[in-house]
Amino acid sequence: MHIPDSFVPMSQAIVYWLIALPFIFMSLKWARKDLDDMKVPILAALAAGIFAIQALNIPIGMGTSGHMVGATLVAIIFGSPMAGVLVLTLVLLVQGFVFGDGGITTMGVNILNMGVISGYIGYYTFVVLKNKAGIKTAAFVGAWLGLFISAIVCAVEMAIAGTFPLMAGLAAMGLYHLIIGFIGEGLITAMVITAIEKSRPDLLDTSLTSTQKVKA
Amino acid sequence: MSLKTNSRMNMKFLYAGIVIALIISVLAPFLASPDPDGLESAAGGVIDEYTFSALEESEPFMESPMPDYAIEGQGKMGEVLAIVIGTLLVLGISYTLGKVAKKQ
Repeated sequence: MHIPDSFVPMSQAIVYWLIALPFIFMSLKWARKDLDDMKVPILAALAAGIFAIQALNIPIGMGTSGHMVGATLVAIIFGSPMAGVLVLTLVLLVQGFVFGDGGITTMGVNILNMGVISGYIGYYTFVVLKNKAGIKTAAFVGAWLGLFISAIVCAVEMAIAGTFPLMAGLAAMGLYHLIIGFIGEGLITAMVITAIEKSRPDLLDTSLTSTQKVKA
Repeated sequence: MSLKTNSRMNMKFLYAGIVIALIISVLAPFLASPDPDGLESAAGGVIDEYTFSALEESEPFMESPMPDYAIEGQGKMGEVLAIVIGTLLVLGISYTLGKVAKKQ
């Protein structure tokens, strides 16, 4: 879902940058307040892993592929969507400047879609569902929904840019990302959360596992 | 769990993360689907051919050193190297930024 420079006119690209910047700033403030020497290795490992997995496009049929975004996963592990914004900003910076994946002018809109929207929707869906549905299901649904909604927003942005017609764009982006979100985002996020829950349950934010502690 | 064990386990998490990320980086050029991603595929379907090829061929705002995760003339090994470099770069930047930004 990396939007290239040519898909958004400069004036609109600047507006998206202006919307994204306060979130980037808040994510740095989050790091200042919540990150400590203990958590930095976890952040770095997740950022490296997410960069790598974003290079692994999964075929979804219809001559189309897609990859994980990862903002929801990071947000769940750190207990804040700000962590997802921070990691996705760093990943998108390297992708844009070093590999031409996603534009430079459109980096703002890409950070907004993949870092902010997918991460916030994913994380808060997870928070709402976790006690009723359990951590795995909540992570799966949150990650899936986060990616799907960000793709819908992307289609609207493409319509405002005059690049896509609205309805056809919504239908195509919606369909592809329902599938990408199911496999690439939902399943992988749930798998990683399950693996961490088994090997390092202490890593998942305490608020998240507290209900189980009460039961035990 | 004591702070010391916790900190050691977090370093183990980092090493495991690096190993997994590097394995994915090396395999990605061979395993990744060459099909266009959701956005590109949607663009190809909803925009007329003439406009689409103009958009696809328009110059990016800035040239990047390794466009499309490849090194010119280096084939698959160049792609492996490009993604490995990217993974290590993200690792280094996020670790350094984390250390600089963290609470004192």
